[in-house]
Amino acid sequence: MNSELRRILGLAAAASVGLATLPWLASDFILSLALTCLLYVGLAVSWAMFSGATNYLSLATAAFFGIGAYVTAWGYESLPYAIVVLLGGLAAAAFAAMVGAAVLHLRGAYFAVITFGLGELVRHAITYAEKTYAKTVGRVIADPPEAANVYFTVLLLAFLAVAASAAVRSSRFGLALAGIGGDEERTQTLGVNTRRTKILAFALAAFFAGALGAAMAVRWTYIEPASVFSPFIGFQTVLIAMIGGAQTLIGPIVSAVVFSLLTELLRLQFPYAYLITLGVLLILLVLYLPGGMASLLKRAWRPGA
Amino acid sequence: MREPLISARGVTVRFGGLVAVNGVDLDVHPGELVGVIGPNGAGKTTFFHTLSGVLVPTAGRLVVDGVDLTGRAAHEFANCGVARTFQTPRVFRDMSAEDNVRFGLEFAGRRRKHARDAFDNPAAILDLLGLGDAAAVPAGGLTPARQRLLEIGMALGARPRVLLLDEVAAGLTHAEVDATAQLIRRVRDEVGLAVIWIEHAVRVLMNYVERVAVLHQGAKIADGDPRKVAKDPAVIEAYLGEELPA
Amino acid sequence: MTFWIELASTGLITGGIYALVALGLNLQYGLMRVMNISHGEFLMLGAYLTWLAHTVFGINPVAFLPVVAILLFALGLIVYRLCFQRIVRTSPSVDVIEARSLLIGFGLMYLVQNAAYLAWGADMRGYSFLSDPVEVAGMRFAGNSLLAFGVAVAVSFAMLAVLRWTLFGKAVRAMMQSPTGAQLVGIDTRVLHPAVFGAGLALAGVAGALLSMVYEITPGMGEPYTVTALIVITLGGLGSAAGCLAGGMLLGLVEAFGMHFTSPSLKMLLSYGVFIAVLLARPKGLFAR
Repeated sequence: MNSELRRILGLAAAASVGLATLPWLASDFILSLALTCLLYVGLAVSWAMFSGATNYLSLATAAFFGIGAYVTAWGYESLPYAIVVLLGGLAAAAFAAMVGAAVLHLRGAYFAVITFGLGELVRHAITYAEKTYAKTVGRVIADPPEAANVYFTVLLLAFLAVAASAAVRSSRFGLALAGIGGDEERTQTLGVNTRRTKILAFALAAFFAGALGAAMAVRWTYIEPASVFSPFIGFQTVLIAMIGGAQTLIGPIVSAVVFSLLTELLRLQFPYAYLITLGVLLILLVLYLPGGMASLLKRAWRPGA
Repeated sequence: MREPLISARGVTVRFGGLVAVNGVDLDVHPGELVGVIGPNGAGKTTFFHTLSGVLVPTAGRLVVDGVDLTGRAAHEFANCGVARTFQTPRVFRDMSAEDNVRFGLEFAGRRRKHARDAFDNPAAILDLLGLGDAAAVPAGGLTPARQRLLEIGMALGARPRVLLLDEVAAGLTHAEVDATAQLIRRVRDEVGLAVIWIEHAVRVLMNYVERVAVLHQGAKIADGDPRKVAKDPAVIEAYLGEELPA
Repeated sequence: MTFWIELASTGLITGGIYALVALGLNLQYGLMRVMNISHGEFLMLGAYLTWLAHTVFGINPVAFLPVVAILLFALGLIVYRLCFQRIVRTSPSVDVIEARSLLIGFGLMYLVQNAAYLAWGADMRGYSFLSDPVEVAGMRFAGNSLLAFGVAVAVSFAMLAVLRWTLFGKAVRAMMQSPTGAQLVGIDTRVLHPAVFGAGLALAGVAGALLSMVYEITPGMGEPYTVTALIVITLGGLGSAAGCLAGGMLLGLVEAFGMHFTSPSLKMLLSYGVFIAVLLARPKGLFAR
């Protein structure tokens, strides 16, 4: 393990331990804000782990998240919370591996569009299956776990996502992913099994999105496809990661906190104005700062570079 | 008779109705430096794509170091010791030059650690190529000529047994070509590489190789000593209207 | 027998409108690799403009179609200038143009959709126009959907004719086949790109105006049509205008027959199923050689 990685892991662990005291210190409102921030840290960091490195723009986050949530909807009554969360992650990862094997040869807009379409396909399939076989449009979570428990679980998942991302970045696996992002064919001619690498990374990213979906599902008490597969979750994740700088680790983290706070504070009061602002901001960023906010930091550190 | 390091038998590539490579046989032994020449559109680069696994041939067999790799993916060719450069340099533009070389070492090179070779760190390879000063520079910021050299470094990092060079001389000055050729010969002698070198500019190549194969309209029309090949009527015919090989 | 013909006709009527929706997006993507995911939002604007013109000023929606087209064309020029020109010109590769334009499309989607919510609220809006059934050869169709189909197909064919026979169309097709070649023979992208982008929005606006005659409209109506357009483009092949028309009709038929044999709640599932199957089996489109 190199020193850079050890430093990042140390920082992340320290931050997590600090944040773990929040349930005893803060009000319910603050706790719920922190929960949203951690959720998007986990989602954005795991999204960037795959899409940021490889330049395969995945819009499947909502699908992974929803699959995880439905594992909770179906399993929470009979299984412990922790097991359900783990299973949610595994189910999403399995789905991603299967889908990845089929679609990861497509690039560019095709890949983006098909990952979005797959999410919608799963949503409609679940809606239909629930209506036809379970005769229900949604499910009620009876006896949800305590808020602090949910918070600890999401905190742990966010920490693991950051740790995994840092570990990947400093590994051969991460180098291979960066190679795929730069020139996939060249990467192959230097001995990387690009297909296997992409599928593994896609599944790893999906694991976190699925586990987070499973963990958060209990907060809704009422689970229905329209809310847990909401494209908003997927879009918001992509926006956060891109705005922060998807090639970096710190970018998505900072931007997840900023935008989650903004969303939670402004969205209820000024829902439309907030989303309009978000749209304008995104356009401006893509036009004038395509590397994300993290590229500003870099510029500040290396003046003239 | 020694076993060839790389052996192509009846390699054929069709794109729809067009036959780009037509039944080409080529054997290259350890320590051989073979040139492949041919007029524009002769199928040289397409043939190279099949030798490196980038393109699966429509028909024919490819054996590398005794392993039948017909139909396998490019990374399996790399892991069996085939390394290549591209006609237009394909370096990882955002990575430093050193990381570009490290890439080969970390993947194909690592799996072939038993391979006998002198270069096991990026710095040594960069120095050898005269790129020592550019180690930390993002590869995209190098001049095209230096990117070409860097690509050779990436290929060497993969610890090849077979090195495929696709028009390395294009864009280099006479002195640079000379230095590169010296370097390739030296590496070949040190580690017993088989080198196959494509060049469109025939005069350049003839000075450096011991054997030359000529492709014309996808088929091999000559293979042997450069001086004899240059006098071959079929070769002269193929090059009519273009630069003559000698 | 009449029943099946009626079912097929219903499918084709929907399909004709789908084709029109997809045509604009396909032109933009084919020419510039701009994947404008906010296409449906401009369709929604076309629908609201027509609704406003009809309910506030009492203008006949059909007579208003050219106005919608001109307004959205102008809007397209502005949007192109402000949002897309820079990335089309400065991106190092086609992949980058695709990725960046997709993100800008998301931004525009947020912007336009929520601006519409702010302006008109989330309520369903609508007006009654030619809603009496018309009998054709023993089958009954709503007059407005027949009209919408007729106009959609006419506009699509007009666009095809423009592409095939006018200088402008030839330039566009040359540009799609070989951007560098086209520039060498003097085709000016500074004129062509904005014009095609504007035409794309104008087509979306006309499609929206037609839809407003048939269905109730909301600010969120555009999103599903963007997805439909993507499906149609995938079926017909990226960049192919004729494929678009065929793909739209095909999707309409698949939906009509699929819903008849299974259930109406499976409509989206069917479209996505077809979409994904085609994308996996024939990523260049059904009609690609």
